[in-house]
Amino acid sequence: MSNLKIVLDETPFQTAGPFLHIGCLPNAINIEGIFDTDLGVKPFAKKDYDKFITITGSVFDGDGKALDDIMLESWQSDENGVYSPECGFARFVPDSLTKKFNLYTLKPGFMNNVNGKAQSPHILISISSRGLNMTLNTRIYFEGDDLTNDPLLSNVKNCRNDISSLIAKKIDEDIYLFDIFLQGDRETIFLDI
Amino acid sequence: MVEALIKRNPKKHPQLNFPDYKSSCSRAPKNKKISFSSTSTEISGPVFNKNIIGKLDNDLTLNFSKNNTLPIGHKIIVFGRISDQFSNPIEGALIEIWQANAAGKYLHHNDNNNAPIDPNFAGCGRSITSSKGYYEFITIQPGPYPYQNRGIEWRPMHIHFSVFGKSFGQRLITQMYFEGDPLINSCPMVNSIPDEKAKQSLISKLDTSRSNTQKLLSYKFDIILRGTNQTFFENKLEGL
Repeated sequence: MSNLKIVLDETPFQTAGPFLHIGCLPNAINIEGIFDTDLGVKPFAKKDYDKFITITGSVFDGDGKALDDIMLESWQSDENGVYSPECGFARFVPDSLTKKFNLYTLKPGFMNNVNGKAQSPHILISISSRGLNMTLNTRIYFEGDDLTNDPLLSNVKNCRNDISSLIAKKIDEDIYLFDIFLQGDRETIFLDI
Repeated sequence: MVEALIKRNPKKHPQLNFPDYKSSCSRAPKNKKISFSSTSTEISGPVFNKNIIGKLDNDLTLNFSKNNTLPIGHKIIVFGRISDQFSNPIEGALIEIWQANAAGKYLHHNDNNNAPIDPNFAGCGRSITSSKGYYEFITIQPGPYPYQNRGIEWRPMHIHFSVFGKSFGQRLITQMYFEGDPLINSCPMVNSIPDEKAKQSLISKLDTSRSNTQKLLSYKFDIILRGTNQTFFENKLEGL
């Protein structure tokens, strides 16, 4: 009978602003002694590092500038496609010199969707920063994986000709490149999750 | 039957492209976001254990103080309830907050505002909601501050909130404002929200019920995260 209940409005988003590190990654900007560690430093603290992949890339604004005052978050399953609330979340920022981020994590497996069908391996990414009135969401899929039956990608193909902005390129053994373009000819596909 | 997140209503959220907020011009994507039915990815999410929260994590007047010296400014309580869109309380939600000090200065290398740092105030706190969805912070009333936008403009007093509910689809980052602040109405970040009622929902209300016993003014700020509905399988509906 839940459809008879009053549905309240969700609290609106506001920009995370330029100083989000204070609340989300204080140790990363040398505010030490409050929290032992920043959240999401290791998405799978108990897993074997030998199995990890690296996803590297930059986030570019409409002027083609690689940004370093943003925060990225990721949410994913483990290598067997299992989501568990204790692991799979990471928080990371681009390096202030190279402007590149590096996510060291497990490559997710094929996962069961709510309807029992499979989703192709992917990582949900969110981007928060000054100038973004709402957090943006996208997904990283992986070059070389079978993407033909993924429900989200099928949906995207109905709206856009090109899904390449959602696919990380394999640039070396266990290393993938995933650049994000906020605007321009190569604007990344963002999701209303 | 499966769970699906209630779709976001764009009128109740800020517009990404909002030229009055200059920084949005080169960062807001131009294309429409792609909508889709919730998958297992969005209806799951990280949940944080209460044991990550230290004793002073929700007291910003003490968690960075040196030799028990209090930070400068008015000490206030900020509290409220986190629920979903059906008013069900959300237990175990993680809230992280950050803010400027009483002088309107952030403890951050990118803050070039000419105002003093308070050596006893970092402006950083976190808390996890109780079984009934309540949270509470003790902090210092943040100051307003000037920033470069279309010229020099002033941000109203505010506290940034980051919230994790039970799923990544409920993730919310927002700002809380203070009842009566005359700078709210001219703030382009507030005005990027088209709906007046939605704007008002970001303004905390002064609550004097505890002001005598604890000698502190309190501000109440309730937060509503997305709800989920039970729906039929999408593929079954298509086959009907």
